[in-house]
Amino acid sequence: MHGIFYDHIHDEIVVPVALGGAILTLPGDAAGDAPPKRVLQGPKTGISQPDTVFVDLEHDELIVESGDDAVLVFPRTAQGDVAPSRRIGGPNSGVSNIYGLAADSKRDCIIVANRVEGAGRQSDDTILVFNRLDNGDPKPRTKIAGPHTGIIKIRQVFVDEERGLIFATIKNNFEAYNYADPRPSPWDPNRTGFIGVWSIDDNGDVPPRGVIKGPATGLVWPAGVAINPKNQEIYAIDSVSNALFMFKMPEFFLKPPAASSRAGR
Amino acid sequence: MRRVIVATAGLLLLSINGRHAGEPAADGTICPLPGSPLSEARLLAIERENGCLDFEQNAEPLSWPPGWDKATIAGGDVAPIRVVSDPYPTLHSLVVDSERNKVFMSDPNRHALWSYDRLAASKGREQVEPSTGIRGPATGMMFIAAVTIDREAQEIYTVDNDIGDRMMVFPYDAAGNVKPKRVLEVPHQAWGLSISAERNELAISVESSRQIVIYRKGAEGREQPLRTLRGPKTGLGDPHGVFLDGKNNEIIVANHGNQGGRQPAPGDAPARQRGTRVSEPQPVVGGHFDEPSIAAFTADARGDVAPIRRIQGGKTGLNWPMAIDVDRTRNEIAVANNGDSSIRIFRRTDAGDVAPVRTIKGPRTGIVGPMGVAFDPKNDEIWVANYGDHTALVFSSTASGNVAPKRILRNAPAGSPTVGFGNPGAVAYDSKRDEILVPN
Repeated sequence: MHGIFYDHIHDEIVVPVALGGAILTLPGDAAGDAPPKRVLQGPKTGISQPDTVFVDLEHDELIVESGDDAVLVFPRTAQGDVAPSRRIGGPNSGVSNIYGLAADSKRDCIIVANRVEGAGRQSDDTILVFNRLDNGDPKPRTKIAGPHTGIIKIRQVFVDEERGLIFATIKNNFEAYNYADPRPSPWDPNRTGFIGVWSIDDNGDVPPRGVIKGPATGLVWPAGVAINPKNQEIYAIDSVSNALFMFKMPEFFLKPPAASSRAGR
Repeated sequence: MRRVIVATAGLLLLSINGRHAGEPAADGTICPLPGSPLSEARLLAIERENGCLDFEQNAEPLSWPPGWDKATIAGGDVAPIRVVSDPYPTLHSLVVDSERNKVFMSDPNRHALWSYDRLAASKGREQVEPSTGIRGPATGMMFIAAVTIDREAQEIYTVDNDIGDRMMVFPYDAAGNVKPKRVLEVPHQAWGLSISAERNELAISVESSRQIVIYRKGAEGREQPLRTLRGPKTGLGDPHGVFLDGKNNEIIVANHGNQGGRQPAPGDAPARQRGTRVSEPQPVVGGHFDEPSIAAFTADARGDVAPIRRIQGGKTGLNWPMAIDVDRTRNEIAVANNGDSSIRIFRRTDAGDVAPVRTIKGPRTGIVGPMGVAFDPKNDEIWVANYGDHTALVFSSTASGNVAPKRILRNAPAGSPTVGFGNPGAVAYDSKRDEILVPN
């Protein structure tokens, strides 16, 4: 599984099951071989191979990556084989190969971590922001992408609604194993991954407002991020070192960022 | 999915700017600077610990994206205040060469292959040192899954699962950070491996695309499979363990039963490899969960064909069946049944909803979340690789019920916890319980 969401209001854990084309909702205290409370699965759902999910607790909606280059929105308690309430996808939207989803109910938007694979070491990864009620093939209202962002191989994203911040996991590396090399390596040690923080109001090719990046962090290929505002902590899971890293980052939680004027370059 | 309760691992580091972990900067912001020699040393150390970096390699100074040096960016090169990881190998699969008294084990946690003497065992709580260890960036091993051997050629095979998409072959005596003897690019999410000496072929199971791909033994590079077994009639659902039986001309496959929401590609389409597609995207038909099963196909089967037998149903007790092995002398199939921490033995020719002829299960067995299983017919033994404990266990081939193993091989001191991370891809914070959730 490449996604998970904890719903603190209803005390539920929501996970996508890519291999079974399903979204499972479990009790918050589930352990062992516990059955799910709800299963969302079937042809009407449009879900094929979901990698990530998010729950908009304010609007009681479940946001799902379809596995089919689309964002699907369901009522939070949807189960069985039901059609989504809304769908965002298509060439105008730019939605492709989604690796992370989040929502900001205060700013009424959905955030999509988009990974557009290019040939070799090229990538056109993007954070797309859509209006919450968008449906069909709309253009995103804002888009964070470009070389100044450092976004290469984006994974899970999370939103801090209080401060209007997007926390993104960036792998920043490519499969590099070339057997013909005398001493090949599956990755580039000079391109370790990082956690990047942007304002939801950011737009264009802009650097992050905060990062956790560098040798001391221990991050190699971070794939997931979560936040604990009460303790001012950031949690990052790393898929290569098989480790969970916890960072104390008061500077990310002190105050809301200044209103953005950092338009695209 | 496993629940991870946060525990302090005691790894406190000093960041390069002299700031202690957890201590905020005076002004709340830090402009990150390119790495210093000290930070480079730490990077190298971390990567070496993780088996990801060549010991002799000198990394270039860190490169930062354009414009970052002029921007005000909070955070920077900050050390974690806590780290949860498992410093010991985690056993996935194993295979025995009884002629040469060797056992080989795959380790997805440290990205390694370990070999032991067949009779090596822990006398008490101590760990056993391996005879050899293959690990490091030159090996190409990432999140590896199954391991098997070509006894005649004395070669070890393993395959990358969710990162890497490679099969790597090493000589028996390989050790350290060595380049494989050869590499084969395989479809994404390969899991099981089996070699048939009789057929001179190699079978690989692939999870998400629900297929078995058959290559000639010795295939390398971007060589295409000889044939592919895939499609709705096959019933393949998230296949894991596979056994290519050249003696009985069958392929045996353990299925978890997960059926993705997209119809499998036609069986005659080429297997997907990196940068290629099998065909146009298949229609979305909706996912479903079948009961786990052990399916048998003819060894020559190709395309979308039904199995000739299938073990499936409530009596079987199958629950997350992982690796399988076939004892062709006793005509039995052993299944590492991860879901209920048991080893289940079926007759090779069983079909339908049948109970296993024997089950090894219970607290005395020491079986915890088994991933690997292997027969040693010559010595009348069966080996089990525990994913949920730092042990490999050896039982008599006829062991049944809640019995203690003949031997225990520990790769960590007894009682060392297994974190269980396997290529984790997401994380969540449970604010109600103050816990961190990590799905595998």
